[in-house]
Amino acid sequence: MATQTAGLTYAKWDDLAEGAQRELSVGPITRTDLVRYAGASGDFNPNHHDEIYAIRAGFEKPFAQGMLQGGYLGRALSEWLGPTALRRLRLRFSAQAWPGDMVISKARVTRRYEEAGEKRVEVEAEAVTQRGDVLIKATATAAPQG
Amino acid sequence: MPLDPAVLKREFPEFELRVERGKIREYALVLGLQDPVHTDPEAARAAGYPDVVAPPTFVRQFWHENPDNDPMPHLGYDPKRRLHGEQEFEYLKPLVAGMVLRGRNAIVFHEEKAGKRGGKMTFVVIETRFADEKGELVQVARRTLIETAAPPKVEG
Repeated sequence: MATQTAGLTYAKWDDLAEGAQRELSVGPITRTDLVRYAGASGDFNPNHHDEIYAIRAGFEKPFAQGMLQGGYLGRALSEWLGPTALRRLRLRFSAQAWPGDMVISKARVTRRYEEAGEKRVEVEAEAVTQRGDVLIKATATAAPQG
Repeated sequence: MPLDPAVLKREFPEFELRVERGKIREYALVLGLQDPVHTDPEAARAAGYPDVVAPPTFVRQFWHENPDNDPMPHLGYDPKRRLHGEQEFEYLKPLVAGMVLRGRNAIVFHEEKAGKRGGKMTFVVIETRFADEKGELVQVARRTLIETAAPPKVEG
């Protein structure tokens, strides 16, 4: 049954040196992704699906929910360190992602230590577009398997 | 609009949320999560979890469910100037399908600052604490909601 993890192997704490990196590219984002995320998350802010509303609010067109690209960044960490390895995740949103954009999550281990009886890592991450616009800056604490 | 002191002091009622397999699956598929522990109960059990595992940002979905227990709609923010500035999660226990959580929202920080081009910027942090049936904390979520300063009027 464990083979059902379809080749997903998680990084082990013992192998995670400071400076270890991971990257995950998702996209290009479509308007359908925004609508699906609205349904999955309950975020029905019209700026994310209603063209006329978004334009009247001063935007060129509907843009992605911050938590959609936040979700991609969370996925990048979860698929790297383990589905329940995260202990803390902090996302700071700095720009909008638009339909057609790639969301590229880049994460790096900045510290490796033991705390609260666990082997933990501190991670710095960001999500950027193909243009290099920084969508999110993030920090995380995780406890990967030894 | 200045923040209403009554809203800042208000206690928001506890709410119940049932963590459902289908909702976890939907959320995982939208984000493209590859590990079947999020979508297949058998795979989750094989990996040692009692049921499918919620992705890291999953509790985001519950915030809009009931305006009675959520401070956000009561802040008086102009929805056209409202931004989600920051989001934080603390993970204390794995979140899996079948759990019934008790959640409670509270405003834990607020600040008003002069905007760079006039007007006022408002910052509010809403903390949501989710506990399990034993009363043990499972996750804490904190969202920073910003109302940007009103843009200057260019013409009358």
